[in-house]
Amino acid sequence: MNYNIRYMVPEDAPLLKQWLLEPGVLRWFPMINEREIDDAVRVWVSYSKLQAGLTIEVDGTPRGMANLYLQPYKKLKHQCLFSIIVGEGHRGKGIGTILLDNLKRHAKDTFHIELLHLEVYEGNPAIRLYERSGFVEYGRHPDFLHAYGHYQSKILMQQFL
Amino acid sequence: MTEPAGFDIRYTVFEDEVYLRKWLSSEKMLHYFPMGDQKEVDEMIPSWIGFAKWNCSLTGMIEGVPVAIGTLFLMPYRKVAHHCMFYLIVDPAWQKKGIGFSLMKNLKHLAKDYFRLKMMHLDVWEDNEEGLRLLYKSGFKEITKQEKFVKENDRYLARILMNVYL
Repeated sequence: MNYNIRYMVPEDAPLLKQWLLEPGVLRWFPMINEREIDDAVRVWVSYSKLQAGLTIEVDGTPRGMANLYLQPYKKLKHQCLFSIIVGEGHRGKGIGTILLDNLKRHAKDTFHIELLHLEVYEGNPAIRLYERSGFVEYGRHPDFLHAYGHYQSKILMQQFL
Repeated sequence: MTEPAGFDIRYTVFEDEVYLRKWLSSEKMLHYFPMGDQKEVDEMIPSWIGFAKWNCSLTGMIEGVPVAIGTLFLMPYRKVAHHCMFYLIVDPAWQKKGIGFSLMKNLKHLAKDYFRLKMMHLDVWEDNEEGLRLLYKSGFKEITKQEKFVKENDRYLARILMNVYL
């Protein structure tokens, strides 16, 4: 695969929004409409000023993004949450794995992150990617998400780097 | 335990910020919060006290003087708007007198009856024995424990995620 990893830039925002708006994607995110997506994208892309986000380009075209939600407090700075997304039609090709490997390296080498963790809703196929990448479940928050008439748990996963 | 004489509760107002700042100037108190110094407190307080505009924060008072604040950090997204995390702080000089328990009870009522929330949750550091005692007494249960979540002076602490259904 001919790929390139670069820092996420504010100009990536429209593409991120486009991926979130693709059919079925919002099922795995807490946002439900465009207004909420705009808010989430604003927060996600705001980390570009810290160079905490990575964008993967395949054959020169952005296909995925991942972001470290760096903690603002000193006593929590050694750990952080992250998020990742791969555009529709480009999943299952190893792009997420490459992006995640780079994000982990970036977290450890640049920000001295010791503990990387994530939140994912039950049933999300991305859980397989996280497990393959070495993340383990350490807890579940039941009934965290309420959408489309039923409740879903939030699965909490982590990895020490 | 009943709360002290002269105890009353009202909605938090922006002016209560002064008391929040004062209580958080105690190093012992600050240890149990994510903020680590006064600069971090200064940066965080506006977002905490800002929730007062939604009437989702309560202030406990003795003879008209604030001694405790409990705040619901309402969620901004609809799919998760049925629950929220919260903070509750009691003036170090007025702890262990039933004030935290009383404010917690009222905060749960506010969450359930006014905001129609189904659950409330909070991260507590594992060494916060007083906080954990209050939460268990208020019906909270441990959901999970995440080791090494806090690193203070090269000492690690776990966070305990506590949750209550309303």
